[in-house]
Amino acid sequence: MRNFTLLLTLCMWASAGHAQRFVTRDAQISFLSETPLEDIQAESLAASAIFDMATGELAFQAPILSFHFPKALMEEHFNENYMESEQFPKASFRGVVAGLVPDKEGEQMVTVTGTLDMHGVAKERAIEGTMTRDGEWWIVASQFEVACEDHDIDIPKVVSENIAEIIGVTLRAELKLK
Amino acid sequence: MKKGCGVLALALTVVLSPFVSWGQDDLMNFFGEEEKPTVVTSAFKAGRIINVQSPETCGEGEMNFIIAHRFGRLSDGWYDLFGLDNAQMRMGLDYGITDRIQVGVARSTFGKTLEGNLKWRFLEQMNGGGSPVSLTGYSVAMRDGLRLPEDGIERKGVHRMSYVHQLVITRKWSPEFSLAVIPSLVHRNLVDRPDRPNDVSTLGVGFRYKLNRRMSVNGEYHYLLPRPIEDGLHNSLSLGLDIETGGHVFQLHVTNSRGMFERAFLAETPGRWQDGDLYFGFNINRVFQVRETR
Repeated sequence: MRNFTLLLTLCMWASAGHAQRFVTRDAQISFLSETPLEDIQAESLAASAIFDMATGELAFQAPILSFHFPKALMEEHFNENYMESEQFPKASFRGVVAGLVPDKEGEQMVTVTGTLDMHGVAKERAIEGTMTRDGEWWIVASQFEVACEDHDIDIPKVVSENIAEIIGVTLRAELKLK
Repeated sequence: MKKGCGVLALALTVVLSPFVSWGQDDLMNFFGEEEKPTVVTSAFKAGRIINVQSPETCGEGEMNFIIAHRFGRLSDGWYDLFGLDNAQMRMGLDYGITDRIQVGVARSTFGKTLEGNLKWRFLEQMNGGGSPVSLTGYSVAMRDGLRLPEDGIERKGVHRMSYVHQLVITRKWSPEFSLAVIPSLVHRNLVDRPDRPNDVSTLGVGFRYKLNRRMSVNGEYHYLLPRPIEDGLHNSLSLGLDIETGGHVFQLHVTNSRGMFERAFLAETPGRWQDGDLYFGFNINRVFQVRETR
């Protein structure tokens, strides 16, 4: 019993001490709202991401204000009326990667199960994507959908023909060994 | 002996657990590092609080068409339908050269005045380090277009001109509440009475309080700084409501100033609230993106 506890504690200690971490501060996240009337697209090149190979934890964080739109008014409405970015300045995702072979080079399909926190509402999600090992880099890519309703993002009737209920998100990050 | 084992294990876990949990927190700590200050945006909804400039400008490549009315005196009663029979109008077009520099032209029926203006938000309020306020400079040149009276006095084109320069100092205190302090200098090349000074200064305050995501209550007051003589002109006070619907901002208000360009409402407001000299009016702002830049 004692030996086992000691071993377990030491193992955790060791893994925390020798964590192999891959990070980036310029992950690219874009989203698209598609309706018959209008397509609205925005992109951020300022998201951060970290992947801990020892624990399999993967986390993303994006400042809402870093999303830029082709039209200034869209950006204002996005921040003021929908995301309320002053109150909720960041969107984040933190999860654990399943199905990854750490030392395998090349693309692998993965599922990351964790919490997507946006507009002050946290949702449990299992998000699929790919992870590609390239030496001291991990390239993470994913496409997934976010329902505005899931995160209490209100779309008033007047603009419901211009803004989609389900937003398509595309993400690409190149994480480098820290 | 068995009990001792358990105690030792517990002790070990307690001693070592700070290290372990330190390791986990560190993952999120990564996001905390390198936090950059961010610009505070949207202190007001539209380019004007009511009459006076807010710090907001058109975004780069954006054009804002403003159509504004001030009706007749509310105290005129049923005969003039509380002023609705008589409207003064101003049509303006603003364009964003950059996200912070804007130029505009406008025409008012009031004095058949044509104006050209320049607005520059040269300092942004920042969150997390940086300036606590935003500073915006605004200059406008106004040309009176009325026919010259035939009174034997020789007037040149330059006598039609007047100018206003102002500094809009704004702080957005919370997502709901923004406050502005606005000192202005009014210069008239020619005044209509010999006892009126060519230069008048005012000190104004304005606010915006958001009721919800689409509506806000706005107000502004301009205090005429002491002049050499009493000239029968009064401070301008306006209260209003902003309503935003997608591409439009509707501003509805009540004011004692009927002119919608700076010289008129800052320096030449003849009526007072307490005398019933109140005018209902609106501004409609419609934004067009004429050049996509990002």
